[in-house]
Parts: sequence; C-alpha cells; structure tokens
Amino acid sequence: MIGRGATWPDPRLGKFSPLPRLLFFDDFDEGLSGWTELIGNYEDSLDSILPPYRDMRPPMLSSATMWDTGTGGAYDGTYSMKLSTRPLRGHQAVAVKRITWQRLCRVQMECFFAFKPEATELRLGDSDVRGVGFLFDLQNERGRAMPHLRYHNAEGDEPRRRWQYRDRAERRQSIGGTGQTGSMYHLSPAGWLDLPGGEQTLCYNEIATKKNWHYLRVLVDLHDCRYVEMQCSDRIYDLSHIGLIRTPPEPTLPCMLNLAFFVETNRDKRAHLYIDSVLLSADE
Amino acid sequence: MRRSYTAVIERGRPLAGDFATEPYEAGWASEAIYFVRLLEPAPSLCLDAHVEISPDGIHWIAEGTAIGPMNTDGIAFARVTNFGNWLRLVGSVRGVAELKAMVILALKE
Repeated sequence: MIGRGATWPDPRLGKFSPLPRLLFFDDFDEGLSGWTELIGNYEDSLDSILPPYRDMRPPMLSSATMWDTGTGGAYDGTYSMKLSTRPLRGHQAVAVKRITWQRLCRVQMECFFAFKPEATELRLGDSDVRGVGFLFDLQNERGRAMPHLRYHNAEGDEPRRRWQYRDRAERRQSIGGTGQTGSMYHLSPAGWLDLPGGEQTLCYNEIATKKNWHYLRVLVDLHDCRYVEMQCSDRIYDLSHIGLIRTPPEPTLPCMLNLAFFVETNRDKRAHLYIDSVLLSADE
Repeated sequence: MRRSYTAVIERGRPLAGDFATEPYEAGWASEAIYFVRLLEPAPSLCLDAHVEISPDGIHWIAEGTAIGPMNTDGIAFARVTNFGNWLRLVGSVRGVAELKAMVILALKE
C-alpha cells in the first residue's frame, strides 16, 4: 500500500509516495550519499576489466548551470546528482549505490530525473541522448536478479521514446586467474526489449538548456525478486508479467540490494542525466 | 564537518599527445587538488599539465596553476581555489607515445 506523502513532516518528501518504511532519502544538497561510479570487476590489473566497464565516469554534484541562463539548480535546492558520458557515441555513464536488505519485502525506488545533451549546439537536440535508465541488482537465497528499465530515447536517426527492459545479460566471463572473480556486462546496447505499451514521450522541452524534472517510481518484490510496476510521470506500467536477468547466487553477494542509474549518448556529444532526489522505501 | 569528495577522472585509459580531462562540476567545493599518479614507470618529465576553469563547462581558460614535479613514485599534483563551478586538467604527454595514469580530483568544502 502506498503511503500518503503529505503526512511526512519534511516538505521535501511531499512529492513522493513512499511505502511505510523509509530506507534512504538522498537529497543531493547533502552530498552524493554513497552514489559512486560503477566499475567492472578486476583481478591483479585494471586491464582485466571488461572494456565497457572501464570508464563509467564519476557522478558529480551539479548546479545545472547553463551557458545562456546560468544556474538552473535542482528540483529541491541547488544540487542534483549528474551523470555525464564522454562525447563518444554509445558511451555510458553509470552510478551505483550499494546496500543490503534486512527482510524479504516489497521495495520501491522513487526519484525525479531529467536528461539533456551538452548544450554545445544551438539546436533542439532531442535525439542526442540514446537512453537513460535505472536498475536494481538483487540477491536472495535462490539467486541474483537484475531488474533493468531503460527509456530508449533515440537510436541513430530514429526517435524511439519508449521504455524497455531486458531478460538477459552477456555471458559471465572469468576475470584473472584465481577463479574467484567474474564479470557480466548487463548494460549491453544489444538485448533490450520494448515494454509492451511502453511508448511515452517525455517533456524534453524546446532547447538543450531547458530541463523539466520527471517522476520515476519502480516497485519490486524481494521474495521472488521480480518487477511489480513502474510509474513515470502520469503513466503507470504493470511489470508483473515481464522477465528479467536471473543468474545463480554469487557466494559473496547475500542480501545484496544495489541501485544504479545510467545514461548513454547517441552522438559524439556528452549526455547528462540529472537525479534529484532518490527515495527508497519498503512495505515492511 | 566539511564535506569532501574524490572523483577518479582518469583510470588508466592511455593518455597520448595533447589531452583534456572530462569537465567536472565542483561549485560546492572551495578547494581542489588534481593528483596524477602514473600506473607504469615513465620518464620524470613525461607530462605537462595545467588546470583550466570555465564559465559554462563548454568554453575554457587556463587557471594559471600547473602540476608540480613528479616524485619518484610517479605522483604529481596541482592545487587550486576560487575556481567557480567547472574544472578540468589539460596537458600533453612528452617523450613517450602514451601514459597510463590515474587522474584524481580531491574536492573539499
């Protein structure tokens, strides 16, 4: 059951619809609160990292300052968390927060997000960002599960404007020589599946320096590690029927509850994803 | 307590010829240090680099601070204050085809 945000004493929480127990609330006016760059696993040398995982860029506290209008600020206060790609088509930036769960229950992530290309051209640029997304990386006694959601904004010259999910990652590869380390690329540009009915045009606005914040809510169930539903702005999607990445449990990941945001660029231009704020809640 | 954050700007991606690191927003911080740490041995004069600042993250100007000499462990740094919102490190690799280094930005309120 979704609680009533208006009952929370902190007015910053009023725009959320959390489950009864708050696990964290990260307002990026207080720092990055544990969000950090995702890196691939390695052994002995950084050269052992799978290439796509080598350079996923550090998140930063952004005031969203634009060349034409100055500081745009965040949804609340001055700072949001910004992920920025390199200006290389297909490059990804990924930030992760790593915690563990205390009991099997439903867990819900809520955030406000916006994405824009770097404003290096005086053009609309609404297809310069390939996609943005969110994922959980979970493990219970039965296995590891990775619910992924991507807003596929554009692919090359084709506007896509729809939500996607995925039910497989690339094959897990052994890293190094001890047999203790492996790595699995789960953000490959291949393998995304269109969510049925997932077409949704977001409020990009009309030039590259104007951004609008969007609400995103993702609800999963830790009992069987499955999606339940998601909401973006005014649209609610039933996700209970879709598959997700599942692998056997890893010996070093019991009770893992990781969250990650990512952004991909569609051109040789930086793509930015802004997040402010993030709230995680549980139903028991 | 003063807040701080350390961002790894480069992590072993080969640097060659003239280079500029990715822009980093740091308007919340009042002081910054760019560290460069070589991951493989290289001549001590293999790298020139200096800090640049920007009004918008797109257009850049030299701040006036260059990294100091590299010590015997292959570490050098540049320390700046009053830098506005954006920072990057610009440099050139000399005498070797490429360098592998960590470029680390330590920020503090």
